[in-house]
Amino acid sequence: MLKLLSIHTSYGHIKALKDIDIEIAKGEIVCLIGSNGAGKTTTLLTISGILKPDSGDMIFEGESLKNMAPHNVVNKGICQVPEGRRIFPRLTVSENLEMGAYSIGKRQKTKGKQYNMEKVFNLFPVLKERTKQMGGTLSGGEQQMLAIGRALMANPKLLLLDEPSLGLAPIMVSKIFKTIKEINEEGVTILLVEQNAKAALRLSHRGYVLENGVIKLSGRGEDLLHNENVKKAYLGD
Amino acid sequence: MHAGTLCIHDNILTFLLKFPAMLLQQLINGLTLGGVYALIALGYTMVYGILELINFAHGEIYMLGAYLGIIFLGLFTVIGLTSVSLPLALFFTVLLTIVVCSAYGFAMEKVAYKPLRNAPRLSPLISAIGISIFLQNYVMLTQGATDQVFPQRFGDSGLQFLNVSMTYLQALIIIVSGLLMLSLHLFIQKTRMGKAMRAVAQDKTMAALAGINVNGIISVTFIIGAGLAAMAGIMVASYYGLVNYYIGYIAGIKAFTAAVLGGIGNIPGAMVGGIILGLVESAGAAYISSEYKDAYAFIILIVILLIKPAGILGKNTEEKV
Ligand SMILES: Nc1ncnc2c1ncn2[C@@H]1O[C@H](COP(=O)(O)OP(=O)(O)OP(=O)(O)O)[C@@H](O)[C@H]1O
Ligand SMILES: [Mg+2]
Repeated sequence: MLKLLSIHTSYGHIKALKDIDIEIAKGEIVCLIGSNGAGKTTTLLTISGILKPDSGDMIFEGESLKNMAPHNVVNKGICQVPEGRRIFPRLTVSENLEMGAYSIGKRQKTKGKQYNMEKVFNLFPVLKERTKQMGGTLSGGEQQMLAIGRALMANPKLLLLDEPSLGLAPIMVSKIFKTIKEINEEGVTILLVEQNAKAALRLSHRGYVLENGVIKLSGRGEDLLHNENVKKAYLGD
Repeated sequence: MHAGTLCIHDNILTFLLKFPAMLLQQLINGLTLGGVYALIALGYTMVYGILELINFAHGEIYMLGAYLGIIFLGLFTVIGLTSVSLPLALFFTVLLTIVVCSAYGFAMEKVAYKPLRNAPRLSPLISAIGISIFLQNYVMLTQGATDQVFPQRFGDSGLQFLNVSMTYLQALIIIVSGLLMLSLHLFIQKTRMGKAMRAVAQDKTMAALAGINVNGIISVTFIIGAGLAAMAGIMVASYYGLVNYYIGYIAGIKAFTAAVLGGIGNIPGAMVGGIILGLVESAGAAYISSEYKDAYAFIILIVILLIKPAGILGKNTEEKV
């Protein structure tokens, strides 16, 4: 479904990604783990078109994303829940969700939008009670639900999640992971970035380990869970 | 002794009678001016809300609006449309002026600001001054340095009550400004694109990740701001009857003051700021001195920067659209 072919991305002189190859098949949950500053966020922002790669290519369903503007990447069906959630603080909960559906506003009638909103409310009933509340006044957990809901509003084929469990209480973390699995079972392919490597690898079909902008390891989730190097560096065993 | 008391009585009486009338008169004059300032101020504040950039060339769009109003209405006079139907001629004048000014606003952003999106903050400011000088001289060269006359006189006919008068033109300006502000408010609060404008103002990267064409929204912002300024330009040209190539400078500074007064980046703030500025100016002209008509705006600007730099409705430096 998505293929990154030797992607290099830099911030000015700083080379953040070096020769990244990642492949994601339809229906998979793939996770990307690595320590702080490894380049995980950079990878997702490059896929979404926010950062332009210096070289390499990205092919999504046979089409290159390399020179695509971010909103067109969304139009192709790739949505991102970014690091730090980035809820629009002075838009209400329902306006935040509507913005998530911006790309389908033109293609479908409001019925599609309404349908998606109902689906999001089924997934996260708390949001339904807070439609008129400003996004910035939600709690961290609610904001994370809203961020995921907002991304789902566009009917993504591929969902990119950047550390969705960061800063959440354990009960909320397991709820988010459960939800990710549910979303995947509905047919959405997922690329998950996580610090919480153990939970992420358990959930994922396959995983990649990123270190200093380079892919160090990749394999099936279970295999990585039992890999000695991964255990030492990321699982704290 | 007796006569003297009577005389004072008389003066007080006429003053008391005249005072509310004069006040009401200044209110009408002030609202007319204030509506126009508010329309221009909205352009400053919307662009600031989205790009954190003061578009110092915005006043020139207003000036272009005034000139284009004269040119198009002059054209319709020559081809005889004004004598067939004046409202129709005015409608097409307004429509064409807004379209052309919006095109200028659109082009201005693409030429002067977009290439400098990631440059230091001083660069777009210098670019704005360049555009401003260019447009003034372009109009001076093509239209001449002398005053141009608005081809239609609307005269002083209007409503008269005691000593208070409101011309039909004043009423029209107040109503049109009010309606435009109301429409803009509804557009920004209720429509899909208006919400996207607010989203872009709050977080451009996230807006792009949500599928919003950020550059498109920025263009729309400039286009709407220019359209409102064009409308202000036509109304002022018809109100005063005369325009010159440098009117954009002073009007621009006044509208900028209005935007800062209300809280730059805050849309209702620009409306409130514009109206307050109009009221202060006409009251100042009536009760203090009309010589200093243009100075009141600067006094307000200095005072507001000293006591409440965030403006009346601005809550903090973060508050935007
Ligand atoms: N805007 C930026 N300008 C310069 N360097 C940056 C910028 N953003 C990230 N970097 C650098 O790029 C490298 C990769 O950063 P990135 O944010 O992708 O890491 P990450 O794996 O997401 O880390 P974390 O787990 O802390 O979120 C880091 O060395 C970081 O310092
Ligand atoms: Mg990160």
